[in-house]
Amino acid sequence: MHGRKAYQLVKDFASGEKGHLKSFNNELFDRVIEECNEHHNALQSLIRKMQEEGLEVQTAKNADHYGALIHHLSLIRNKRCLMAYVYNRAEIVRELAWNVGLLHELPHEIQEKLNETEEQYFKDHSKSLKLYMSQMNLDVNVDMVPPKDPYIKVRVLEDLGSGIILSDKTANFARHSMHFLKRTDAEQYISRDKDVSY
Amino acid sequence: MASGSEEWSAAQIDDYETLVSTTDVELLKRAWRNEKAAPEILPFEEALVKRAKEQIQLMEETVDDFAESGHDPLIASLYQMDLDRAQFLLRSYLRVRLQKIEKFMFYIWKSDTHRNRLSKEEEKFTERCIRDIGKHLEETVLSKLADNYQSLLKQSIISEEDDMVPEPQLDTFVVAKCQRAMRPLYLDGSRQSASFDRDDHFQMVPGDLCILHYRPFQEELMSGNISLV
Repeated sequence: MHGRKAYQLVKDFASGEKGHLKSFNNELFDRVIEECNEHHNALQSLIRKMQEEGLEVQTAKNADHYGALIHHLSLIRNKRCLMAYVYNRAEIVRELAWNVGLLHELPHEIQEKLNETEEQYFKDHSKSLKLYMSQMNLDVNVDMVPPKDPYIKVRVLEDLGSGIILSDKTANFARHSMHFLKRTDAEQYISRDKDVSY
Repeated sequence: MASGSEEWSAAQIDDYETLVSTTDVELLKRAWRNEKAAPEILPFEEALVKRAKEQIQLMEETVDDFAESGHDPLIASLYQMDLDRAQFLLRSYLRVRLQKIEKFMFYIWKSDTHRNRLSKEEEKFTERCIRDIGKHLEETVLSKLADNYQSLLKQSIISEEDDMVPEPQLDTFVVAKCQRAMRPLYLDGSRQSASFDRDDHFQMVPGDLCILHYRPFQEELMSGNISLV
């Protein structure tokens, strides 16, 4: 069925929760690529057939011409679907780069949902953002919400060890310890889900 | 205090308002709001951003001085709050722009008008973005397709123009506020009316609010006659 698989691929993305990734659907993805190549082969053989019959491909409006056209249209539709699938996933990967990428590696649960080139894309994009920030001499990934109070109270969820350098002091982030920190200092840790503020 | 304020004349209040509305904080706020509300990327406020950065640095020093001298902690934290707000504004402004670039990188890159609106750093960022996503899409999809269908920007080689480029929706609705008196606006965004009996134009006076497509406001927004809310 023309385009059915590609449609399923897009639907696979769209049915996911917004902003969350599902595992890259390799199987379906490869099926669509295969289908594209089948279309291309069919298209080529139709064009060859028309040429053998001595017909002008562009102007002859016979059945083969329209057959070839259908294959062409199916192919570009599949291409759009494939691109949409990868591009929309890449948008989420970029969001991840904003939220976690600038400091650290991706958490394992997320990493296994990406395919290899997406992982590479995540790294590349994080690098681009980092470069921009170092050129501007300003971190743009903190202060994501308008500030209300300069200080917040946080509780450490995971042992981060001592000697963590904050802007005005060093702190020991032992598990379950509570701290009263400058919001700008705490934010980078909160975005990693290691601390919880309240 | 109360008796003092009653004696203020209307002219004085006007003066005060103009003064407040031209401070850098106010200008930055306006630039930030415009950027947030406009569907396309706007010219980079280079001078303003530079001034804002300098002032933030100055404020940081003041706050540090307060902290060191052990001065009244309340005053220090008030300064800190003010500083935090200014920093948020600046960062958010830059962030909104970066996110627009991420979304419409190909569109911005292919026209000079849009490309010239970027700062040097943003231009570099756009270039890298395009390179990275290009590589990603190439490796995942395009290299597996037949030759004639491998273009990143076109559906196939018979497409005459780039038909795979996401573009900003310029017909989206915005809320605009008139800042200065200006010429009448035409709904289709044109400058001159072809004939005098056209009735699809309207006049805004300073302070007016209006909800309409983005396109007719485009030019006046660039010249600062209106701002978006």
